Amino acid sequence: MSKLLEQFANYKFYLVGAYPEGQIGGLCLNIILAILSIIIGLSIGIFFGLGRGTPRRYISLPCIVYIDCIRSTPLLLIIFWFYFFLPVFGVKLSLFWSAVIPLSIYASAYQAEIIRAGLLAVPKGQMEAALSTGMSRWLALRSVIMPQAFRMMLPSFVSFFNSQFKNTSVVFIIGIIELIQTGVIITQRQPDRMFAAYIFMAIGFWIVCYALSYAAQKLEKRLGILDYESYKPEICREDLVLLPLPKAIKRLMITNK
Amino acid sequence: MTEMIKFIGVNKWFDDGMHVLKDISLGIDAGEVVVICGPSGAGKSTLIKTINKLEPIDEGNIIVDGFSLQDHRTNLTALRAEVGMVFQQFNLYPHKTALQNITLALTKVRKLNKKEATERAMEILKKVGLADKYNAYPSQLSGGEQQRVAIARSLAMEPKIMLFDEPTSALDPELTSEVLDVMVSLAESGMTMVVVTHEVGFACNVADRVVFMDKGEIVEIGKPPDIFVDPQQPRTKEFINSIFHIPFNNNHGS
Repeated sequence: MSKLLEQFANYKFYLVGAYPEGQIGGLCLNIILAILSIIIGLSIGIFFGLGRGTPRRYISLPCIVYIDCIRSTPLLLIIFWFYFFLPVFGVKLSLFWSAVIPLSIYASAYQAEIIRAGLLAVPKGQMEAALSTGMSRWLALRSVIMPQAFRMMLPSFVSFFNSQFKNTSVVFIIGIIELIQTGVIITQRQPDRMFAAYIFMAIGFWIVCYALSYAAQKLEKRLGILDYESYKPEICREDLVLLPLPKAIKRLMITNK
Repeated sequence: MTEMIKFIGVNKWFDDGMHVLKDISLGIDAGEVVVICGPSGAGKSTLIKTINKLEPIDEGNIIVDGFSLQDHRTNLTALRAEVGMVFQQFNLYPHKTALQNITLALTKVRKLNKKEATERAMEILKKVGLADKYNAYPSQLSGGEQQRVAIARSLAMEPKIMLFDEPTSALDPELTSEVLDVMVSLAESGMTMVVVTHEVGFACNVADRVVFMDKGEIVEIGKPPDIFVDPQQPRTKEFINSIFHIPFNNNHGS
């Protein structure tokens, strides 16, 4: 325990790495990587998510291929591609960007899927109603569908943000000094503090993830959950709930509603 | 009278190969109220949705207000603004208040400023008897009130044609009359209306013609009393008897 408390003396190294003497690192770097990759990934992901939903095959097909390829590839592999392949083709990226770009690409595929699922969850009648008042498809998407879809995407986005934040730790493999790497460095200097250092890393991740979930909960409460009570498309029938539960329990849940 | 809507040999197949509209030809005059009825799966909803091209057709043509829907030069969004539509499931925007539901298209499509749009929306809300509920969200309104807001949303665009796709089917029976009242007064004001409904009372009161559809075809067209009291086709007879709960074999007296 005392060894764990002792690690608090190293908090600055865990938090920002060798900054201000050297490059920024530690937990701060994890947060920066996560935020950057989520923002870049989102702006790419929107196009792929929308593109996948269009009836035009020549747009949707490349989007499907992109999303499925990225999603079926481990993040580590994408990072290696950028780290090892690009120099071969003569492109030189700084260490920082060769971490941000793969993370963004990885994020874009997942966020595209979240966006697509959110759009699909908005009842079809909403689009029909908007079109029937003379809105263009794009205008309807922006002012009617997206605001509703966003609220439904929120829980998926939060869980993705959480996992993306934890995923940023993978980039230690190409020598970026983020939280994991700072811990590793400390254990190399003081091998007897290994357990304390690793527990301290976990605490660092936990604090950020918990804060994120908490903030999201507050936001969800403020936006309010959309009420489709008056709107029951057949697809929402309660007996179609896909839960691997015995029938008796399911029946209990439905009658209790 | 000028023809407002004209179907010319319209055919449509669903993706699974089902022939949902079979060679439909029908003209609807300006100011006319046409009720479409028929058993479920007859293609009524599909037919009414082809009028503003929410459902595209495969063969034939539809002329609405002088514009061909199959012509690529037709400005579809501008045409849709002239054709109001009311849905079975209301389809109000759940994240917007009653007032915002109405003003959204007024500001974005009709390009009114916020004050003009609000004034016009309040005027229409008063007409459907919901002026005091302008600030309510759809989830706070009853089904009948939601449907009246939906009608108001379409009316605010000052359309030339109003389409109603089973506007009362999702409502409790005691709430249907408040919606039908609005529709009757609308019909009396001379609006061109196409209504898919099974409300016989409404059809008899205001419809100029009743179209009976079955399996994608128009089986019979006639004045409401002719269709409901003295149908000519056996398929129509069967359907009319079933909605009045008269056993098919004992209908000699009626």
